[in-house]
Amino acid sequence: MFTYYVRLGIKSMHRNPILSALMVVALALGIGACMTTLTVYYLMSGNPVPHKSDQLYAVQLDGWDPNAQPTQGPQDVQPQLTYMDAQNLMSAQTPALQQAAMFRSSLVVQPEDDDAVPFQNSVRATYHTFFDMFDVPFIYGNAWTQGEDQQGARIVVLGKALNEQLFGGENSVGRDIRLSDQLYRVIGVIDEWQPTPRFYDVVTSSFADVASLFIPFKTAVDLELNPNGNVNCWKPLDDSTNAAFLRSECVWVQFWAELSTPTAADAYFDYLNNYSREQQGFGRFQRPINNFISPVMEWMDVNQVVSTDNRVLVRLSFLFLAVCVLNTVGLLLAKFMGKAPEVALRRSMGATRQAIFTQNLFEVATIGVLGGVFGIALAWLGLRLVENIYRGYQHLVAMDWMILLISMLIAVVASIIAGLYPVWRTTRIPPAQYLKIQ
Amino acid sequence: MEFRPILSALMRNKAGALLIALQIAITLAVVTNALYILKQRQTHINRPTGIEATADAFVIYTRVFRNDINIEQLVDDDLLKIRALADLQAVTPIQSVPVSGGGWGEDFYLSQDQSSDQSVGFGNFMVNQDGVEALGLDLIEGRNFSTEEITFRSPVETVYPRIVLISKPLANALFPDGDALGQLVYDELNSPHPTRIIGIYENMPNAWPNATMFENSALMPQISASNDVRYWIRAKPGRRDQLMTEVEQLLGLDRNRIILGNRTFEEVKARTYRNDIAMVKLLSGVVALLTMVTAMGIIGLAWFSVTQRRKQIGTRRALGAHKMDILRYFMIENWLITSAGLAIGIVLTLALNYFLDTNFQTGRLVWYYIPVGMLFLWLLGQLAVLAPARKAANTDPALATRSV
Repeated sequence: MFTYYVRLGIKSMHRNPILSALMVVALALGIGACMTTLTVYYLMSGNPVPHKSDQLYAVQLDGWDPNAQPTQGPQDVQPQLTYMDAQNLMSAQTPALQQAAMFRSSLVVQPEDDDAVPFQNSVRATYHTFFDMFDVPFIYGNAWTQGEDQQGARIVVLGKALNEQLFGGENSVGRDIRLSDQLYRVIGVIDEWQPTPRFYDVVTSSFADVASLFIPFKTAVDLELNPNGNVNCWKPLDDSTNAAFLRSECVWVQFWAELSTPTAADAYFDYLNNYSREQQGFGRFQRPINNFISPVMEWMDVNQVVSTDNRVLVRLSFLFLAVCVLNTVGLLLAKFMGKAPEVALRRSMGATRQAIFTQNLFEVATIGVLGGVFGIALAWLGLRLVENIYRGYQHLVAMDWMILLISMLIAVVASIIAGLYPVWRTTRIPPAQYLKIQ
Repeated sequence: MEFRPILSALMRNKAGALLIALQIAITLAVVTNALYILKQRQTHINRPTGIEATADAFVIYTRVFRNDINIEQLVDDDLLKIRALADLQAVTPIQSVPVSGGGWGEDFYLSQDQSSDQSVGFGNFMVNQDGVEALGLDLIEGRNFSTEEITFRSPVETVYPRIVLISKPLANALFPDGDALGQLVYDELNSPHPTRIIGIYENMPNAWPNATMFENSALMPQISASNDVRYWIRAKPGRRDQLMTEVEQLLGLDRNRIILGNRTFEEVKARTYRNDIAMVKLLSGVVALLTMVTAMGIIGLAWFSVTQRRKQIGTRRALGAHKMDILRYFMIENWLITSAGLAIGIVLTLALNYFLDTNFQTGRLVWYYIPVGMLFLWLLGQLAVLAPARKAANTDPALATRSV
């Protein structure tokens, strides 16, 4: 019986090939558009550190201009700290399990080979705790030590790709590398690691590549490396020296704390408020105390990591899919009405409504599956397009199993919605009327 | 005149007509809202920059990575070499590029005893005496910098130079009475260092297109003595691409630095507006595909109903109906369905706009987008139904006599 229905379905589609193709194309376009926007949305709003995201907190202190607008919530407070506050918190005994201050800069990599052209690379200056807090996987070697943090050692952790490029992918721990005319010793090489969004630094681009060089914070500060990101100041510097910049009220350091329990989070928050009061005693922090600690996913919300454009496009693409489904319903309805004489004949020969329903359902299912498969292909093309016309979206256009599953689900739901009513209508055809004019 | 028979025929196939009407309704809502957002983006991207050299200018970004290099000497040498090139119109060092998205924001204070929230922010561009010509700015008041007035500024220097050129919008923000020329401004509260406005140019935006003070910019007679050495270069008309290659080769010879980028000003703008340009492209795609799908739906259904009704059409033709009458029948039928859809569509359009505006601040739709969208869909419907209607009109009257 099943193979008979299959043959009937194929024959029926052959009878109106253009109409059948129109339906498949319409469904595929709708599904393709939805899946393209949805994939980007899904990856933008993804959890970059699923197992730890509720234990890692971004830290904000409100030490801004006393004359500026009052603070309503975390979105009104600077997302970065001053160098001074970052230093104070890093060196204090706080209730946090560990903390990491960091900023982004860039260095020129000078390969040993004299013929190789030097190139600029982004670098993250941070503390040894960064690697453990964020579970950064190592291939070779390890993170540096607290001692090396304190002395500002000339050491570097390399990204996998850069290690391939410079050392052919072999264990480079202990080798030297020249960066902007300074020698650094390689202490570790990390594996593929690309949290998306790049949650620990959303000030510049939330979806950019992870830096392929990591050096101790103090090393970068000693070498007076410029922060590549936002430097925001509300108060003029004391004088024109780098020391004045470091003790200024300019914010440019991202700061994270690992707080493993809600109790620890409360204790840390109290600690920050006490710190603010203490600073008020020194004449700083002249605003009402408005500190915030936000776990990863909240922090993503505060910083609106998912772009509004993408949210708008997701809505519009679903409306587009709705039009495509309506379109398919209309075409199917027309087509099945055209089959009325045939259905009438079958009914009068004893076919039950149930049998008619199953027969026609097969045709609808085929159109749905074809629409889904072509839709996924179109979504793949759509994502290549998105990757091309945006910058820094290379990590937002990958389809995983989850995405494929959702696509198939949307395809099935769409074709069921599109097919059910027309199929049901065919079972309601009164045989007598059509038999008369045969 | 023919509405009643058409309507009663429509009523016999309510579902098909309703489906087309709903498609038309959603299409109107999406197309008008998408076009509105798209138009806003285009206006945003195409705001006038006041930079006359747009088509002839490029920026070369280099970075010196050795520690023992005298930057002042290096810049002087570079300028000498670049000026010797035949295709050059003008060259200036520049520490930040207009519309590039990254730059220096600073504040001017009007007097020495103001509270800090009364300052005016602007984008600072450090250029030499050839900056005005290289950028192609229209100096409407005062004078340009002279060669002797150009100094080097260390990366940590915070004091402003003694003279400055500012944009007209910044002049108006600082001195609404229009007497900015010759006035003094200050780099901070209680500053002992006044800066005199010696000239005003018509317009040049700063680096941040999304800032409210995008029009506020100032030129300072300085050259940044940092490792990031950048030049804004204006070629003789039509010679830009040749000059770009020449300059890149020239500076690329220096083993103490690397060339980070060599971009035309048009490329700089395209990079900055990349997300807006992408949105424009994607929305255009949505509008085009949606129009196509809707048209396909109309054609498919009309074609089908023509095939279904061949006998009736043949009968009408046999009874004396002209081809024109049949054609008109289907056109009117489509017009009725489309109109019904558009009526629902107006409500949907406003609802969608309200939803998008409240949730994503896309702005309130300007009213005339709706009638324009309606006109477009009416036309689309009529065009889509034309081919099936002509097929219907060509039905052979003899059909009516067969097989009844």
